[in-house]
Amino acid sequence: MMAMAKRSGGDEAPGAGALGGFGRYAGPATLILSSLADGAKHGYALTKDVEAFSGVRLAPGTLYEALSRLEGQGLIEALESQDRRRPYRLTAAGATALRAHLDDQRRVADVGLRRLASNWGTS
Amino acid sequence: MIGTQEESARRAARLLRWYPATWRARYGDEFAELLIAEFAEQPRSWRRAADVARSGLVARLTRAGLTGHQPQPAEQVRAGLATAACALAAFGAPGIAMWAQLTIGWAWTPPGTVGATIAMAAMTAAVLLLAVLALLAVVPLSWSAACSLRRRPARRALRGRALLALAGAVVLAVGSHHFQNAWPGTGAHPWAGHGLVPAGVAALGWAATLWVSAYWAHPAALAAFPAAEIAWMAVSPAALIAAVAGVAGLVRRLDLSVRMLRYEAWLAGGAAAAMAVFLAGACCWVLAPGSGSGLFHAGTIDVASLAVMVLALTMARRAAGLARKAAPGSRPR
Repeated sequence: MMAMAKRSGGDEAPGAGALGGFGRYAGPATLILSSLADGAKHGYALTKDVEAFSGVRLAPGTLYEALSRLEGQGLIEALESQDRRRPYRLTAAGATALRAHLDDQRRVADVGLRRLASNWGTS
Repeated sequence: MIGTQEESARRAARLLRWYPATWRARYGDEFAELLIAEFAEQPRSWRRAADVARSGLVARLTRAGLTGHQPQPAEQVRAGLATAACALAAFGAPGIAMWAQLTIGWAWTPPGTVGATIAMAAMTAAVLLLAVLALLAVVPLSWSAACSLRRRPARRALRGRALLALAGAVVLAVGSHHFQNAWPGTGAHPWAGHGLVPAGVAALGWAATLWVSAYWAHPAALAAFPAAEIAWMAVSPAALIAAVAGVAGLVRRLDLSVRMLRYEAWLAGGAAAAMAVFLAGACCWVLAPGSGSGLFHAGTIDVASLAVMVLALTMARRAAGLARKAAPGSRPR
């Protein structure tokens, strides 16, 4: 992912490729940012939403590990706490980073699907 | 129902203990709420408990500057420096105990094996280098601390740590000086001075690390020691911990300039290199066949000391490396 982020570097918007530095947290980070793209959510609502659209259940430790890193990078921000539950929302930098990351993933997916279609046929 | 909620809250509080206090202060409430909601859905899950434990340990490593994930570069450098200081103390205690044993041995007679001779040369050079680096690090830090203590806003946060560091250092220095003549082969002994370093220095090192001893495993033999010496064996590690905790706390809280952060991170890298030289020397002595006799004999405590030093060096290298990388103005590698 890092290599892809660098390759698309020249005309990148600020924040693009920011998930490249997340290493093995890039997966949870992508899921969280994608969920927050729909609006602010607190921890449990995030877990349920991610599970609903991806089938992945984020464990609490992993979720908050990714949340604290995303917050540290300025890709999400915490809102006022509501009854001990604190919602998070996507920042502009987070939206840019998510878009760049998903574009990269789509390029990989397009190549893979094209090659599958030409060598293995469509099924 | 209320009982179940209370039980869930207690379980969440127990799991939260995996995380450092600063993390709990920031995320504790909301994380506990998430855990309570998870308990209601799935009461027992070893995977969830393991995930929380792993994530808590990662948060602790991050807090110690050992993951490179601190959001602020200056915070990463300060955390790395504080951890490097702790690692240096953890390395220094068994290291100085080992070195003092060899230097005291040499005050009586030169070592009979090549392993011990090489070990002595490498370890002495490394100790000298570490002492110089420590001095170069501590003097400007002390000056910064003294300046900050004069300013009212910072005074409250720093005063406790400064007092802890000072008290620990004073107890360690005075106690070591008091007990350094308890060893018959050093101090004012007429044969002293034949070694690689002045016998008084070796004796000071021996007294400061008297507690690094195999006698803890032999209570009957330990009971024969003078009561004051046993008390010193209990007090000196506490004084060392206090001094290092104070210094680490100060480093974490001092508002150091960019240039100072770079300088201290560079010194930490140098200290890690000197520790590696010391460890190589120690390995030469402990692991060489027939490590010697009498005072040059390597025992089980020395093998255990090697293990502690390897761990401390690994930690120091990682902390210093990440601190240097994060230091503002450093070149990306």
